[in-house]
Amino acid sequence: MADAQARVAAREFNPWRAVLVISLGCLAVLFLAPTVGVLLSSIKTTREIAFGELWTVPRTIYLGNFVEILTNPAVPHYFKNTVLVTVPATILSIALGVLAGYVFSKLPFAGSNLLFLVIISGMFFPPQVILIPLFQFFNALGLIDTLWPIICVHTALGIPICTLLMRNFFATVPNALRDAAILEGASEWQVLTRVALPISLPAIAVLATLQFTWIWNDFLWPLIFTQTDENRTIMVGIVNLRGQYSVAWGVQGALSLLASLPTLIVFLFFQRYFIKGMTMGAVKG
Amino acid sequence: MERDALYWRVILLAAPIAVFTALVIWPLLSSFYYSFTNWNGFNPEYDFVGLDNFAKIGTDRLFASAIINTAIWMVAAIFLPTLLGLALALLLDSKVPGGTIFKTLFYLPICLSAVVVGQIWIWIYQGDWGLLNTVLRAVTGSDFSYAWLARPNTALGSVIVAWSWQQTGLSMVIFLAGLTSIPDELLEVCDIEGATAWQRIRIVVIPLLTPATVVVVALSVINSLKGFDILYIMTGGGPFHSSDTLAMHMYNESFKKYLMGYGSAISVVLFLIALTIIRIYFRNLRKVDEIYG
Repeated sequence: MADAQARVAAREFNPWRAVLVISLGCLAVLFLAPTVGVLLSSIKTTREIAFGELWTVPRTIYLGNFVEILTNPAVPHYFKNTVLVTVPATILSIALGVLAGYVFSKLPFAGSNLLFLVIISGMFFPPQVILIPLFQFFNALGLIDTLWPIICVHTALGIPICTLLMRNFFATVPNALRDAAILEGASEWQVLTRVALPISLPAIAVLATLQFTWIWNDFLWPLIFTQTDENRTIMVGIVNLRGQYSVAWGVQGALSLLASLPTLIVFLFFQRYFIKGMTMGAVKG
Repeated sequence: MERDALYWRVILLAAPIAVFTALVIWPLLSSFYYSFTNWNGFNPEYDFVGLDNFAKIGTDRLFASAIINTAIWMVAAIFLPTLLGLALALLLDSKVPGGTIFKTLFYLPICLSAVVVGQIWIWIYQGDWGLLNTVLRAVTGSDFSYAWLARPNTALGSVIVAWSWQQTGLSMVIFLAGLTSIPDELLEVCDIEGATAWQRIRIVVIPLLTPATVVVVALSVINSLKGFDILYIMTGGGPFHSSDTLAMHMYNESFKKYLMGYGSAISVVLFLIALTIIRIYFRNLRKVDEIYG
């Protein structure tokens, strides 16, 4: 007891720890400054910002920027479209990853390792490489300026990471569990949906947070595939509205803040899953 | 039984393989095909031009500068986030009070979109009221007003700093995971032997972090090759193409000038560069596995 107290006391009076905490604090302030800038801009008037008061503590909170954003007719479209792209593409990519991951871990066959490698190599390549053919493909189908190409492409590009994580997760499920269920007369589909899937919820949570964040934040594919406000997603919308509010920096800040809220909330609540996914399947970005 | 298994493999793999083939493999092969044509993106008719597009690459001055910028971008993307992430991980590993909060703060930028990050940093670099110039004016007492993103000398470097700010948290988390795998006994031995903190880090910790370092470096390279959004937002490759990278150049040629054939040739080059890097990475990964088993 006395020993433990002495150790605590020794820890408290270590000057190096104080230096450490102070330097970390300074770094944290530096690191946080950009994010705080967006917060501050959203509650200041354009006049204040133009006079160099973006980075000072606000004296009053100005809500006009948010009013401006929420009454802009294009903004509801942006948010609706982003949800309509992100939710189905997240679900579909995970579903396809579950199917492929299950086969690669529980029903391997001659050449399945090679096939698996081909699929996961997909996450190493810059997506710009397939940009032109995909544009041509969806153009030929008459689907440019709809949400379909964005959903399809995100579903396909999510397959590598989802297959990788699901295969690795299913590998930890004992084969005996599957064999027993098969002997009891269960079909492979029943094993997958009733045995493997219920216990793989942690892996699915990891994938859901990663996929949601990436697809919500994506800019390249909606930039290529959409042309009108009715079909733009929020990230392309921000860039597009920058023309309309070219010097209304506060309005731009308010929109950026609103657009970041969903991923910020997911990040803060599911941080554990997020970090796990980032370090496990570390290569997608 | 065996026939059953075959049946289920086909059923379960059909959808993922079909989608992946149609939307990733097939477009990749098509890119090679289009790189031999003069297709303009709209006209259904086009001609085969052989290796003309690749010959054009050799004489395209913008391509040469894009390659140089991509190299600068990649080298900076390897060093800045890796070193910063390592420093932060070492600082945070010593169980400081509030460590979790610091970790969250440093990691937070990774969940922001390139569009928002670009927006923030445009304001930091803004000439009249940007944070950087405001601080510089306060420090030097001069009337400093330099538009960092609008000058060819500083545009690329400024975007690299913004990019590093976002990527550092990711390196930090991977290094932190690597640090937890270093046995405490080893560090205690250092203390007993009277090693200084710096010696401990240099002789014991950093060599043991090699696997984590390989992952971080590979990730940085791969992510930097994909880095398009933030450049598009912050500079659009400008001014005067001074911050064009390969991905940016390919976008401009294909979707601004509608030279889809030439753009495809650029993406083939991008693909070959990525392939080379991935092969180097996997070869070293195997070496690391052999050493650390």
